Amino acid sequence: MKRILLTTTFLLLLMGVASAQADSAAPSPPAPPTGVKAVDKPNDHGHAVNISWDMSPDDGKGANSVVTYDVFRWIPAYMDSVAQIRAGLSGIRDTINILDRANRKWSVLEEHLTGDSAKLANDSVVAAQRIPQLRADLKRFRQVLASAVERLPEAHKTYPENGSWRRVGTVPAGQGKYSNVGSKEYEEPDYLPDFSDFYYRVDAVGVVSTTRSSSEVSAPVHSSGQWFNTGRTTVLVFVLAFGFLTVLFVRKARAGHDLYVRPLAGIDAVDDAIGRATEMGRPILYLLGAGTAADIATIASFTILARVSKKVAEYQTTLIVPCYDPIVMSIAQDIVKTGYSDAGRPDAYKEDMVFFITQSQFAYVAAVNGIMIRDLPATNLYMGKFYAESLIFAETGALAGSIQIAGTDEVAQLPFFVVACDYTLIGEELFAASAYLGREPLLLGTLKAQDYAKAAVLLLAIVGLLAVNVGHEANVEWLMKFKELFKVID
Amino acid sequence: MKRSTYIVMAVMALLFAVSWYFKAATYHGNVMSPLVAGFMITLAAFLTLAIISFVYQDNPFYKFAEHLFVGISAAFWMCQSFWSTIVGNLIPRISTGLSKYFGQPYRDEPWNFVYWLPVILGILLLLRLSSKIGWVSRWALAFIVGTTAGLSFIRYLRSDFMEQISSTMVPLLAAGNSGESLLSNITLSATGPFVAMLTNWVIFLGVICGIVYFFFSKEHTGLFGRASRVGIWILMITFGAAFGYTVMGRITLLVGRLTFLYKDWLGLIS
Amino acid sequence: MRRQLPFILVFAFGLFMIFQYFVPHESSERAYEFLLDWTTIIGIFALAVGIWSLVSVTIEKIKLRKPAWQYSFFTLAGLFLMILFGFTAKVDGHWGFHFYTSEGLQNPMFRSFFDYILTPIQATMFSMLAFFIASAAYRAFRARNVLATLLLIAALIMMMRFNPFLGPVGPLFEKTANWLLNVPSLAANRAIIIGIGLGMVATALKVILGIERGYMGK
Repeated sequence: MKRILLTTTFLLLLMGVASAQADSAAPSPPAPPTGVKAVDKPNDHGHAVNISWDMSPDDGKGANSVVTYDVFRWIPAYMDSVAQIRAGLSGIRDTINILDRANRKWSVLEEHLTGDSAKLANDSVVAAQRIPQLRADLKRFRQVLASAVERLPEAHKTYPENGSWRRVGTVPAGQGKYSNVGSKEYEEPDYLPDFSDFYYRVDAVGVVSTTRSSSEVSAPVHSSGQWFNTGRTTVLVFVLAFGFLTVLFVRKARAGHDLYVRPLAGIDAVDDAIGRATEMGRPILYLLGAGTAADIATIASFTILARVSKKVAEYQTTLIVPCYDPIVMSIAQDIVKTGYSDAGRPDAYKEDMVFFITQSQFAYVAAVNGIMIRDLPATNLYMGKFYAESLIFAETGALAGSIQIAGTDEVAQLPFFVVACDYTLIGEELFAASAYLGREPLLLGTLKAQDYAKAAVLLLAIVGLLAVNVGHEANVEWLMKFKELFKVID
Repeated sequence: MKRSTYIVMAVMALLFAVSWYFKAATYHGNVMSPLVAGFMITLAAFLTLAIISFVYQDNPFYKFAEHLFVGISAAFWMCQSFWSTIVGNLIPRISTGLSKYFGQPYRDEPWNFVYWLPVILGILLLLRLSSKIGWVSRWALAFIVGTTAGLSFIRYLRSDFMEQISSTMVPLLAAGNSGESLLSNITLSATGPFVAMLTNWVIFLGVICGIVYFFFSKEHTGLFGRASRVGIWILMITFGAAFGYTVMGRITLLVGRLTFLYKDWLGLIS
Repeated sequence: MRRQLPFILVFAFGLFMIFQYFVPHESSERAYEFLLDWTTIIGIFALAVGIWSLVSVTIEKIKLRKPAWQYSFFTLAGLFLMILFGFTAKVDGHWGFHFYTSEGLQNPMFRSFFDYILTPIQATMFSMLAFFIASAAYRAFRARNVLATLLLIAALIMMMRFNPFLGPVGPLFEKTANWLLNVPSLAANRAIIIGIGLGMVATALKVILGIERGYMGK
C-alpha cells in the first residue's frame, strides 16, 4: 500500500515537473507562410484547385521550426447538410444491397429450414418486399441531393458567415504547393463543386501541432473544366500538320502525279509465294497475330489480308486464317468474303476458311502448329502483333518447309522473325505493305506523306540537337529547353 | 493405325494407371479426394510430356493434348469474360431483375441507359450468324475500329513518335548533364566525358541512318543509299544482339518444366 | 446507306477519340469512359460468335473426315464440360446455377481443369521455346550474306558474354555485349519506334478518313 502511494506521488511529481518544463519551453509558433495564391487547376476536368505559397521564413532557415504545412479551405455549413443527404442516400443503397443478398441466400434454403431458421428466412423474404419502396426512396433522395448540390455555389458566397475552416491537406516542410483535387461525382464524399468561391489559408505547423500560425486568406477562386488542354498543343500541331500532309499528297495522287516507291523484297515475295502455293496445290496460311482489333498492327494486317485474299481467289488457291480474337475473326471473314467476290469467285469462299480457335495464347499456338504440320501450307504469312509465340510459329513453319513472310511492329519479336523467316517486314514496312500491294495511287500518296514526316523528324532532331548543344555551350536557357517542347503533359 | 502405335498406346495407358495409383496412394492434401488428385497430377504430367513430344514429331498424344487444350481454354475464357463483363459490369446497370438473378447488387446510376447501346450493337454483331441480314454486324465492327483507330492515333503519336524525337536531342559537345565543356578536360577514360560524347554521336548517327532506311519514296542511291545501308546494318546487329540475349532466358523456361516432372510428379528431387 | 454507314461511323468515332484527347472537360471524359466500356461489352458478344465458329468448324471437320478429325471430339468435350463447370456450382449443399463474381469461379472441377490441364500445357508450350530457339540459332549460324553474318556475330558475342571458359578474353566479350545493348541497339530501336509510330499514325488516319477501306472488304 505504501509502495503504491509512493509511486503515485513520484509519478505526480514527475508529471508536474514535466508540465512545468513544457510550459517554460513551449516553442513559439513558426512564422506564417505568405502570399497564398489559389488558382483553378489548368488542363483538367474541373473540381480541382492548385494552391501555392511563399514558404515560412522559419522553414529550413530562421528558427527552422516548420514541420508541415496544413492547407485549409473555408467550407459553408450548408456543405454539411449536403453531406447528410449524401450519407442518407448511401445508407438506403447499402440497405437495398443487404436485403437483396440476404433474400437471395435465404430464398434458396427456405424450404429446407425449420424452427428459428425458417422464421429468419421468412423475415428476410418479407423484408425484401420493401426493396421496391426503398428504390423509390433512393430515387427521391437523388433528386433532393441534385437540387441541394445546385445551391452550393450560392452557399459559398456567404463567406465568412455560416461556415468554418477545415483542413483539406498537409504537405511536409520545404514544399510550397498543394493540389486540392476533389471528385467530379456529387454522390462521392469528396465532391468539390465547380464555380463556387473557394477561400484557402495555409498554416505553418511546428513539432507540436498546436504551435501553428496562419497565413492571410487567399482571394476567392472558382474551379472549372477546360475545353482545351494547353499542355498538348504540340501534339495538336503534329496532328494537323500530318493530316494536312496526308490530304495534300492524296490530292496530288488523285490528280495523276506519278509517285515512286522503292521496291521492298518482302512485298514482292508475297505474289511469288501465292503463285508457288498454287503450283504446289497447297494452301496459304495467314495469321493476324495475337492482337485485338484495337491494335493498329492488326488493322494494317486486315488491309494486307484484303489484297492477299483477292489474289488467292484469282489463283484459285486455298486460304486458312485461324484467329485468336473473335472480333478480328468477324472482320477477317468479311474481308476474305469480299476478296473472293471481288475476284469474281464468290462461290469459292467457304465459311471455314476464317475461323476462331481460342483466346488463350498457347492453345492458339498449339492448334496453329498442328495446322502447319498437318495441312502443310506452301506459304505462311504472319502479319500483325505477335508475342512469345512468334518463334514457335516461325520455326515450326520453317521445319515444315513453308515459305514464310512476316511483318510485325512488336520490336522484341523482330529478331526471331528475321532469323527464321524468308522475308520480314520491319516495323513501319508492315504499315506500308497494303499500299505497296494495292498499288493504288491514293494509298501510295500517304506513303509520301509519311516520308515527309520522317524528313521533318530528321530536321527537327538536327535543329533540336543544335539548339540543345549551342544552348549548353553558351548557357542559353531557352535553347536548352527546346526539347521540352516535345514532352507531353498528361 | 499401325501395330506399333497400339503397343505404344497400351504402354502409355499402363504407365498412366501405375502413376495414378501411386500418386493417389501418396496424396496427403485434403482439397480433393486422393483418387481425383492422383488422376489430375498424372494427367498434368502426361500432358506435359505429350506437348514436349511434338519436338520429335507430330503424334497422337500431341494431337490429343492440343485438341483438349483448345476446347477447354476457349470455354475458360468464355466463362471468365461472361462473369466479369456481362454479369460484373453490364447486368447491374441495365436490369434489376437480372441483377437479382445473378446475385449482383443493382447499380442505380443516372447514366445507365447508355449501356443499352453496346447491347444493341452486340446483338447486331450476333446477327452475322444469319446470312440474310448479317451485314448489319458491320456497324458494330465499324464502331470498334473507329474508336480504337482514334485512340491509337493519339497514343502512338505521343509515345512512339514525339517522345523518341525528344530523347534524340542529346548534348554532343558536352558530356552528360554535368554541364562542363568538353574541350577543357579531354580524357580517354571509359566513363569520361570523351567516351560519353562519342557514344552520343554513335547513337545520333545510328538513329538518322535507321530512319533513312525506312524512306519509301526515295531511291536508295548515293549518300542516301550509303546511309540506308548503314541503317540496315545497325538494325541487323541489334536483332542479333537481342536474339543472343534471349537464348539464356528461354532455356530457363525448360528447366522449370523439368523441375515439375522430376519434383512434383516423380518426386525424384526435393 | 448500307455500304456508307460503317465508314461514317468509323469517321465519327475516330475523330471523336482524337479530339477528346485535347479536351479535358468532364463531359468529354465521361464519353470517353463510356466508349471504352462499350467496346469491352461488344467484345463479349463477339466471343459468342467466336465460340459458334469454333464449334461449327470442328463439327464440319468431323463430318468431312478431315485430317485428325477423331481428335475433334476432345475439343468439343473439353469445351462443353468446361462451360458446364463454369456455370454451375455447389452452394450451401445445392448444385445449381449459382455464381457470385466477387467470389470467383468456384466450381472445384473448373478450378482443377484450370490447374491441372490448362496451366501445365500452357507452361510447357512456353518452355518449348527453348527447343525452338536452339533450332533457330542453328539456322542463324548458316549465314548467307553480309546482313546475316552481322546478325550472327552480334548474337555470338551476346551468347558468350558470361562464358567462364574464355579466360582473360571473357570480360572483353562482356564489355562488347554491353556496348551493343546500350549503343547500337538503342539507336536502332529508336529509329524503328519512330517509324512504327509514324506508320501507325498514318494507318489510323487512313482508316478514319476512309482512304483505306480494305479492312471492311471495301
